Amino acid sequence: MKRKHRYSQYLLVMTVPFFLTGCWSSKEIEDLGLIVGTSLDLETGDVSSEEQQDARYANRELLTITNQFVTSETTVSGTREGALPEKAYKNVSETGDAVLPTLRNMLLKVDKHSFAEHSKVIIIGEELASTVNLQQTLDFFLRELEIRPSGLLLIAQNQASQALETNEPTKIPAFQLVEMMEGHERTTKILPPMTVAKLEGKLYSDSSFLLQNVIAENGEVKFAGAAIIEGKTKKLRGFVNESDIEGIAWMSGDAKGGLVKGFDEESGAPIVYEIISTKSKIIPHVKGDQISFTIKIQSEGRIAEHWVLSDKAFDNQFLKKAEKVFEKEIERLVMKVLEKTQHEFQTDVSGFGNKLRINYPRVWQKIKKEWDQTFSEVPITCEVNVSIKDYGTSGD
Amino acid sequence: MWEKVISYMPHWQVFLQGFLAFFIPYLIYKLFHVFLFVNKSNGKIDMKENSEQSETIQIPVQKKLEQFTGDYSEDFLQMKKELGHNWDIHFREFQIGNTDNRAAIVFLKGLCDKELIDKHILKSLMNGLSERSTLIRGYELQQLIVNEILPVSDLLEETKVMKAVGKVLTGSTVLIVDGIQNVFIIGTAHGKTRNLEEPVSEALVRGPRVGFTEKLSVNTSLLRQHGENRNLSIIEMEVGERTKKELVIAYIDEIVEPNLVKEVRKRIETIHLDDVAESGYIEQLIEDNYLSPFTQVQSTERPDRVVAALLEGRVAILLDGTPFALIVPVTFNMLLQSPEDYYERWLSSSLIRLLRYFAAGISLFGPSLYIAFVSFHQGLIPTKLALSMMATRQGVPFPALIEALIMEVAIEILREAGLRLPKPIGPTMGIVGGLVIGEAAVQAGIVSPIMVIVVALTAISSFAIPQYNAGITLRMLRFVAMFSAALFGLYGIILFFLFLCSHLVKLKSFGVSYLSPTVPYRAGDWKDFMVRMPFRMMKHRPRLLKPKDSVRKGE
Repeated sequence: MKRKHRYSQYLLVMTVPFFLTGCWSSKEIEDLGLIVGTSLDLETGDVSSEEQQDARYANRELLTITNQFVTSETTVSGTREGALPEKAYKNVSETGDAVLPTLRNMLLKVDKHSFAEHSKVIIIGEELASTVNLQQTLDFFLRELEIRPSGLLLIAQNQASQALETNEPTKIPAFQLVEMMEGHERTTKILPPMTVAKLEGKLYSDSSFLLQNVIAENGEVKFAGAAIIEGKTKKLRGFVNESDIEGIAWMSGDAKGGLVKGFDEESGAPIVYEIISTKSKIIPHVKGDQISFTIKIQSEGRIAEHWVLSDKAFDNQFLKKAEKVFEKEIERLVMKVLEKTQHEFQTDVSGFGNKLRINYPRVWQKIKKEWDQTFSEVPITCEVNVSIKDYGTSGD
Repeated sequence: MWEKVISYMPHWQVFLQGFLAFFIPYLIYKLFHVFLFVNKSNGKIDMKENSEQSETIQIPVQKKLEQFTGDYSEDFLQMKKELGHNWDIHFREFQIGNTDNRAAIVFLKGLCDKELIDKHILKSLMNGLSERSTLIRGYELQQLIVNEILPVSDLLEETKVMKAVGKVLTGSTVLIVDGIQNVFIIGTAHGKTRNLEEPVSEALVRGPRVGFTEKLSVNTSLLRQHGENRNLSIIEMEVGERTKKELVIAYIDEIVEPNLVKEVRKRIETIHLDDVAESGYIEQLIEDNYLSPFTQVQSTERPDRVVAALLEGRVAILLDGTPFALIVPVTFNMLLQSPEDYYERWLSSSLIRLLRYFAAGISLFGPSLYIAFVSFHQGLIPTKLALSMMATRQGVPFPALIEALIMEVAIEILREAGLRLPKPIGPTMGIVGGLVIGEAAVQAGIVSPIMVIVVALTAISSFAIPQYNAGITLRMLRFVAMFSAALFGLYGIILFFLFLCSHLVKLKSFGVSYLSPTVPYRAGDWKDFMVRMPFRMMKHRPRLLKPKDSVRKGE
């Protein structure tokens, strides 16, 4: 009898843990506040708390972090009783001199357990990017386990937190930005997405790169050009516009899809070329001390639209002529952006240095410290070869 | 050097973590064994008691095995003494032909073929003998009855009273003739039997629409009917101490491994029960591990399935009085196979078989994965889905485990109730239950709509498993998986799965590994495992059964 009693105790020990449900790291999904987007801004105005004022006196830069939360309350579907929430998201801002303490201070304002594994986008304000080293700013985000390396990185002109606001209450701005980014496959005016994972490589290799730029005003966001981040200082150097991005896309062969608008020489009517595929090659040449580059671009595509009345699309001569027009246009785009990056910004954002490093490692060793300076003086030529494969379903 | 080694070592907490991760399951395992030990010792004691009892009872039984004397009135009285108090036993006395020889038949009302008794026994005996035979008695008369008078094929002679009594009780007719020491036992048994019907528990779209019945002779004849096969052996055995029942072991002599048949016979001989009501009793008494949740004997109502198993080198056990035949040894993949797999073309049946494996997976892990994702690994859910899950779970007052338990238990009750209810009410039950669970529970905010989807999917998946008892096993284990998911998340599910695997790998059914052909790995047998390859490729029988003749003939 006594033995039996002991075994029933074993049984109790075995069964008790099953009733301690929801223990340890368990957290129910409805208690979470999903952080879907984060924006970082430089704080310039007055600050309130003692902690922040201390930081200001110590001459440290103050950051304003805005987290976009989606919680079970904001996503409640309309069928449930009670009033509809005003917005599908909730933005919470907090200011401080380092990222994690600031995020912890956010606990004072939010009831939900914040959860960043679904974080989609990090937006950095123009001012912050141009004053603080990007690596320092993003150090926490690169270290933190909860933040996925698939998150996007954007630069916002003006206030970054503006990009996380929208006029449409049912939409979540962070998702909107990510979905807009998908468009890069259909236009060359959007850069291919720069994820946290890719960024890490760029930052550690000291190379310059471009970040997609977003303008937000009155609850509307728009992709507009790109920001140049200089490799050496890891700070924002300046902006290029959409047509410059097109040129860069042609140079790097990233133009997966998109259009080129050329004008017929005689009539001045537009002809539109749609890209099917592109290949591009940057070939470095070294002769003695003289470094030069040739960019070879090959593209195949079709005529998508054609306003020239006098010409027949069936005509091979016309196609030849059109190819010439597009070649010229592409070359113009490329040369224009090269002019900007070489002379205005003196930054190599399209990987010319990398090509040189691969092909002429010894030369690269000598000049890599002064590369940006050297780059601005290097002659670059561009060869474009466009071939039109078809002219769509209507030939006339 | 050591400093370097130590510096590479992880922090001591990691050791602790690892230690606990292995120690806690080991502890549970050990506890389980303690239980097993206790059960065994209890069992032993019980068995001793039983054997003592049976000895005391058996002694008078043996005394009764008296012989017939040959004196009519004494033999008749003997039979009357044994059976006379029964209402349904008839004693019919008469005189043979125009002689003085008195005779009697004893038979059981209802179990006998009355027409046979009337026309071929009574008529032949009473109609009178020829002139020369009116005076013969004793041995001559016996010969005369056997050779000329009784036109009956099933005729035996018996000397022992109790044997004759037993025969009467199973429907034979006993003929006592004055002056003949033995009695005649005439096979007149004609029990009531059900028509051959389609098996209810294993329905097929394509395949024979015939199932076993409750009558053993019909069942064996179904096996024989399948085709001429000299090698099909059907060996008779008897089970049950108080209620004797016929049981046969069927196998194909040329294929089966002899030791397997020996083992099956040995295990059946060890069954000592008053009554073996159904083959389920046998199943439970001959299986290797009675503590395992997995069924180690396949039961089926389909003759075609039995024949197919016999041709692979397995052994079938058929019991009188039940339509369920047993097949041993069994492997896990057999439980997920249907005879239809072989009747349809190989591509479609392979796909359907894969679907069943998938369904088994859902049925086992569906709700537990939901629990793990919802309360531990929200980052693994696609963002949009996570958002809608958040929205649907808003306002649900329970943690995911309780929510899942409510639904799972409700659906199990619904299933059980639907099974037990009389047929006309059954569908009503389903509709009412479905409405209550599907609509009202969600409306009331007790559970989330996604949970309803998960539960419905799981319930349907568990019915997609062709073997009913395998489905029950998975349903049972599903709850264990749910608890481990609530405790440790995905880690717990993986831990549970590892436990399950280690148990299955160890499990054997009549000397054959339960998980074969995966463990031990036999690539040749995989042709009929997850997918069913075309027949042209399956030229060999499964090697795990060590068949005498490994090549399937007649390609």
